[in-house]
Amino acid sequence: MINSLRQKLEATFKDIRIAIPEESRIVVTAENDGVPAILRYLKDLGLDHLALISAVDWIEENCLELCFILTSYMQNDDEVTGRQKLHIILKTSIPREKPKFKTVIGIFPNAEPYEREIHELFGIKFEGHPRLTPLLLEREYQIPPFRKDFDTRKYVKEVFDKIPSVEIEEK
Amino acid sequence: MRELELYFGPQHLGMVGNFSITLKVEGDRVLEARANPGYLHRGFEKLMEYRTWMQNFPMVCRINVVEPDSMEMIYAMAVEKLANIQVPERANYVRSIYLELARVGSHLFGLWAYANMLGFDTVAQWAMYHRDLVLDLFEELTGGRVYHIYIWPGGVRRDFPPGFEDKVVNTLHSIGGCVPDYDATFFNNRLFYERANGIGKISREQAKQWGATGQTLRATGMKFDIRKVEPYAAYDKVDWDVPVRENGDAYSRVWVIRDEMIESVHMIFKLLDAMPEGPVYNRVPNPFKWKIPKGEAYVRCESSRGELGLYMVSSGGDKPYRVHFRTPSYPNGLILLEKLLKNASIADVGNIMISLYVVAPEIDR
Repeated sequence: MINSLRQKLEATFKDIRIAIPEESRIVVTAENDGVPAILRYLKDLGLDHLALISAVDWIEENCLELCFILTSYMQNDDEVTGRQKLHIILKTSIPREKPKFKTVIGIFPNAEPYEREIHELFGIKFEGHPRLTPLLLEREYQIPPFRKDFDTRKYVKEVFDKIPSVEIEEK
Repeated sequence: MRELELYFGPQHLGMVGNFSITLKVEGDRVLEARANPGYLHRGFEKLMEYRTWMQNFPMVCRINVVEPDSMEMIYAMAVEKLANIQVPERANYVRSIYLELARVGSHLFGLWAYANMLGFDTVAQWAMYHRDLVLDLFEELTGGRVYHIYIWPGGVRRDFPPGFEDKVVNTLHSIGGCVPDYDATFFNNRLFYERANGIGKISREQAKQWGATGQTLRATGMKFDIRKVEPYAAYDKVDWDVPVRENGDAYSRVWVIRDEMIESVHMIFKLLDAMPEGPVYNRVPNPFKWKIPKGEAYVRCESSRGELGLYMVSSGGDKPYRVHFRTPSYPNGLILLEKLLKNASIADVGNIMISLYVVAPEIDR
């Protein structure tokens, strides 16, 4: 099944690279513009469960990598097939300066909080997202905190050392 | 009627956990709900990038306070996959038994929260007491009651102490002996039925569309369980079934939880019978010098709330390059909750939230 999926993807889309690192995993690397079409195609093929959207900051290559992890629900109520074991990781690279990407909420509605989180933690702006408001953090950060150049120890020193220590009066 | 903004949590009698919902209400009808997580955001995923593979274990288990064990399992699975470490056969059985005990404990905690919220205080106290009995087992096995740090890459920390199997059997028998009492006072109680039937109802298509897993999906009739579709540990070694219900409402979800506890107990008995002898631990390299080859892995397991996934990237160093947990409460608490609260009454807000089994620390991480 995994090889037929590979052939279908290669026949339908140009400019993609496909790797099969193990029996149940396909890694597809695509350009930014091609991602929505590939997601739609995979969803129609039955990979209807968007498990996770993640981002990785590859600071040495100067890019941010978005990963869409797709698996599938059951077709019937109780039929377990090899299909549910399969997962696809769809990757795309975005430049670190002014990163932006088109939202995929139209294809997978459950992408909404994942995109919000990545916008907050990695600074990737999702165009067309209805609600890019802060999700987890309470402060503004100059560098998005999950990027590799954000130094947690330096930040703690700068922010919390400014708070004066409490003097206890001795009676 | 006038529209009001109502803050439900984090300090609210109906709220269990560090979570809040902003409700826009008209009369006692909810027009719109907005979930606000982040009260317990500790940045664990970032902190893990600063610590070695083994140093991360004390943080991993703290992501989910109620059921830390599947968190340990998923982290160990990812490290094993990246470093290509094998687990001894007996350790797989020990892991499964341990995880099922954790599932029973976690579901009892969920039952406590749900019964408490509906006003069934007696049932809630029973559930808490029975959870304590399970925690006693964990204390004997691992030394800790809440956070255990028992599963490691390569197996588990130590084998069962002498006589432990009998204690597990006795404890589960004494909890199982109370199932008729639970049924009579809670599950078959007309009050519970009236209060939960038809509340927070979703269809199968909606559940799939919003990324639901676990009880929320199984309450709509789909037998989707990671232990079945992608078996790990020793779940494919014994015969067991996935409990489902058809209606997709709060009543069905709570019944799935009840049936799952009973199924878990039966599974533990079968696993104890089938457990082989042998070592429980394969040695891993010196943790201070342990470098894991470059690569990435996505692994998943069935926690007591649904699909728990972990995307882990190694750049070939002694620390993870990126760790990202896919927790089941994330879609439940941030998508399903907002959708289901629309047009609900204020009295049902806590009902819907707890029936979705939202655990806030899991969302915040």
